[in-house]
Amino acid sequence: MKRRTFVLSALGGAGLLVVGWGVAPQRSRLGKPEDFAGSQGDIALNGWIRITAQGRVVMAMPRAEMGQGVHTALPMLVADELDVPLEWVSTETAGPQSIYGNVAMFVASLPFHPRSTQPGQETVAARTGQWLVGKLARELGLSVTGGSSSVTDAWEPVRLAAATARAQLVAAAAQRWGVPAAEVQILNGTLQHGARRAHLGELAKAAVRIQPEQVRPKTAAQRKLIGQAALRRDVPAKVTGQAVFGIDVRPPGLLFAAVRMAPMLGGRMGALRNEAEVLRMPGVQKCLRLGAHAGATAGVAVVAHTTWHALRAVQALDVQWLAPADDQGQPRPPQALADSDRILQALVHEAKEGDGGTTFHSRGDAAQAEAQAHHQIEATYQAPYLAHATMEPMNGTALLQDGRLTLWLPTQVPSQARKLAAKAAGVDEAQVLLHVTLLGGGFGRRLEVDYVLQAMEAAKAMPGRPVQILWPREEDTTHDFYRPASAAHLRASWGADWGSAGAVGAVGVRPQSLRIHSAGDAITPRWMARTLPALAGPVDMPDKTAMEGMFDQPYAIAHQHMRHAATRNEVPVGFWRSVGHSHHAFFIESFIDEMAAESKADPVAFRLSLLADMPRHAAVLRLAADKAGWGAPLAAGRARGVALHESFGSIVAQVAEVTLDKGAPRVHRVVVAVDCGTVVNPDIVAQQMESGVIFGLTAALHGRIDVKGGMVQQKSFPDYPLLGLAQSPVIETHIVPSSLPPTGVGEPGTPPIAPAVANALFALTGKRLRALPLRLV
Amino acid sequence: MDLKVNGKTHALRDDQAAPDMPLLWALRDVLQLTGTKFGCGIGACGACTVHVDGQAVRSCVMPLSAVQGREVRTIEGLASPAGLHALQTAWVAQQVPQCGYCQSGMLMAAADLLARHPQPTDAQIDEAIANLCRCGTYPRVRAAIHAAARAQGAAAVPAPQVLR
Repeated sequence: MKRRTFVLSALGGAGLLVVGWGVAPQRSRLGKPEDFAGSQGDIALNGWIRITAQGRVVMAMPRAEMGQGVHTALPMLVADELDVPLEWVSTETAGPQSIYGNVAMFVASLPFHPRSTQPGQETVAARTGQWLVGKLARELGLSVTGGSSSVTDAWEPVRLAAATARAQLVAAAAQRWGVPAAEVQILNGTLQHGARRAHLGELAKAAVRIQPEQVRPKTAAQRKLIGQAALRRDVPAKVTGQAVFGIDVRPPGLLFAAVRMAPMLGGRMGALRNEAEVLRMPGVQKCLRLGAHAGATAGVAVVAHTTWHALRAVQALDVQWLAPADDQGQPRPPQALADSDRILQALVHEAKEGDGGTTFHSRGDAAQAEAQAHHQIEATYQAPYLAHATMEPMNGTALLQDGRLTLWLPTQVPSQARKLAAKAAGVDEAQVLLHVTLLGGGFGRRLEVDYVLQAMEAAKAMPGRPVQILWPREEDTTHDFYRPASAAHLRASWGADWGSAGAVGAVGVRPQSLRIHSAGDAITPRWMARTLPALAGPVDMPDKTAMEGMFDQPYAIAHQHMRHAATRNEVPVGFWRSVGHSHHAFFIESFIDEMAAESKADPVAFRLSLLADMPRHAAVLRLAADKAGWGAPLAAGRARGVALHESFGSIVAQVAEVTLDKGAPRVHRVVVAVDCGTVVNPDIVAQQMESGVIFGLTAALHGRIDVKGGMVQQKSFPDYPLLGLAQSPVIETHIVPSSLPPTGVGEPGTPPIAPAVANALFALTGKRLRALPLRLV
Repeated sequence: MDLKVNGKTHALRDDQAAPDMPLLWALRDVLQLTGTKFGCGIGACGACTVHVDGQAVRSCVMPLSAVQGREVRTIEGLASPAGLHALQTAWVAQQVPQCGYCQSGMLMAAADLLARHPQPTDAQIDEAIANLCRCGTYPRVRAAIHAAARAQGAAAVPAPQVLR
């Protein structure tokens, strides 16, 4: 085990996780019936599929539903393969077995350039790294909902599991009826041969004993449900108030706890001055100190009869908060604590002037090209810290009783939540029962386990009683793991043909070099230290998220040099919907627009001229431009901007139409084109594009977290505003048909919107905005 | 204290509730009506929207003392025995919810709007729906409100039964 940990850490040191299905034996993830044993006469056929006595299907669900539609998409894979109605497939939280681990996400996190992972042309390093990480990820079996990877990861193993179950059921029916298996069909959930009929439950017991031969999932032509806009399974309960989120679980005897943490990030607790008084408040049961778990700041919680009693009491507590300590253990003065303005200035300085860091990609000789350039431009871009602001604040429910731990969690990391909570509780992992609830938004915030360990601590203080901890909104905003502040300096040059600028029409002049130097804190090693401590590496190890979307940019430019300096700041950083892409797309797609403008080119034509060997990107861009009526005249005071960005394996182009409303940008219409490989459910893809655009617009127009004296300044929605309904644009989504395996949809809609809006504002005002959020004055 | 919710009167014990307790917490933690959500506690996000005497209010800032003798309706009481509210039907047809957390409040705000303006304009929707949604369901919320208004306008046609 030590050796394996070492190898993965070393790989972590080289980046982290990526996927090559060519090297991923899916059969190893089929699992055994005992992995998914059920009650009430259900029969499990493998680790994913169970058949009920009534002939319905239960699917093991290893991923969290947080709005992205995965509790519909994965059952669709099963229903299609088994030919049962989608309504007949229900889901149940998967267990801790490694077959449910997310392999795709880990393989996708390896920092290889796309050129080194082209099928058939992989470099030895890429092939070896992918193989090794894939193997290790399968063995470790870490269940994670993130990286827009759920369908990508499930695509092969879940279809294979359902196809295998189907083959067993068909063979069992054939044996019983004494007919060739090839003549038995499943139609609408019923096994059929001639006039004979049986439902799946009648054959399930016989099917378990059958070892199917070579099983292959359906071909694209055989699929019936995949590709259809099936209604989401979770919607009915979400319109009647019956859906159960983490905050809604109500086990018998439940107590409620409210949390308050030191206002300074990383702060500590001194004296609790009025505990006795607070304990006398109505409904109050206990005050407890919360440790600084998994990257959290230390704090207090009050346990009471209702959340309201707990909230009132925790506010009434008079706590002596201490600033984070210096080397001598003394509280540091406010001016020595984190300050986001200072951090951003330093990041900008590093991006412009620094010469250190890690080269993520180098091609040709950018320095030489610049030395001989006939024309150059350069610009510095920056982005602030951002909070996740899930609508459901952090919460968790735990019960510690007789050496057993029961958890009800809205979590994106069930396997790590289970493991770390068991360790903290001092119980064996086998004694943990975890119910993953619906998530009232995740966006990466619930990849953390800080609140899980707080719930655990509360349960430990109240043995035998389930306790639900809740963070008030102000704690949620001020104690997040923030999207990192980041800066990049970009430089482009043109060669001898620069003199022909303006003479080549809308296409402009082909640039010869692009150099990007960025700076910011790495997320992945910090997250690993918090949630996967056994595998954590150095905090400034090369992390793909630090340069994703920039070092691997698609435009054909002969000389490229892409370098990132990993910095060490004190503001805790985490994965925020689309991660590095969220700001990197703004940096690079704005700068590409600057390059187009510099050579007097049309932004779409200029991009297309550099995408001759990237046909999928070009097709997506063309589709968005066509549907948006690119080039057609607009009303006075209105302008269009475009951006194109690949993330999580999917390519998205967006065209935004903007006006100015009393000097503030107003976005009216966004046309989205997306290529996300095979589409499982086009309406969910459209939903996620709409969602990604609006999430990204909140960031582009409003999003900003400031830290002063170590304290986050924004507290709640009035000072950390979200885009509202009245400000939301009309959004149209157009999907490029594809037969490639499915890629991400939950995140790829977010990155392009900020540059599309910024580029439209440039078209409207001539002013180039290089900092987020976008401010014209 | 008494609390009349969805047509049923509940007597709240003094150790459970107090006059200054926000309605939200009495609903969620005492009556176990968890469809109404906590989002911010300051009336800013609308996740806690319920009806008091038919009007949309933010239950997180509405003390129990202010709803004595008044009728509270929550998302659990939006449908009638005859079936789903036209908005709920439209919500399903338009596939509005994503994570779903804000949707109870959205629906209650929309139901109040439709009661006041059976055929609301876009401007009226903009004004009435100040609820926040992090998933960005707004375009579909707008479409579903218009669809429900149309369906109610053609009220003779019974709404299709979509739920289980």
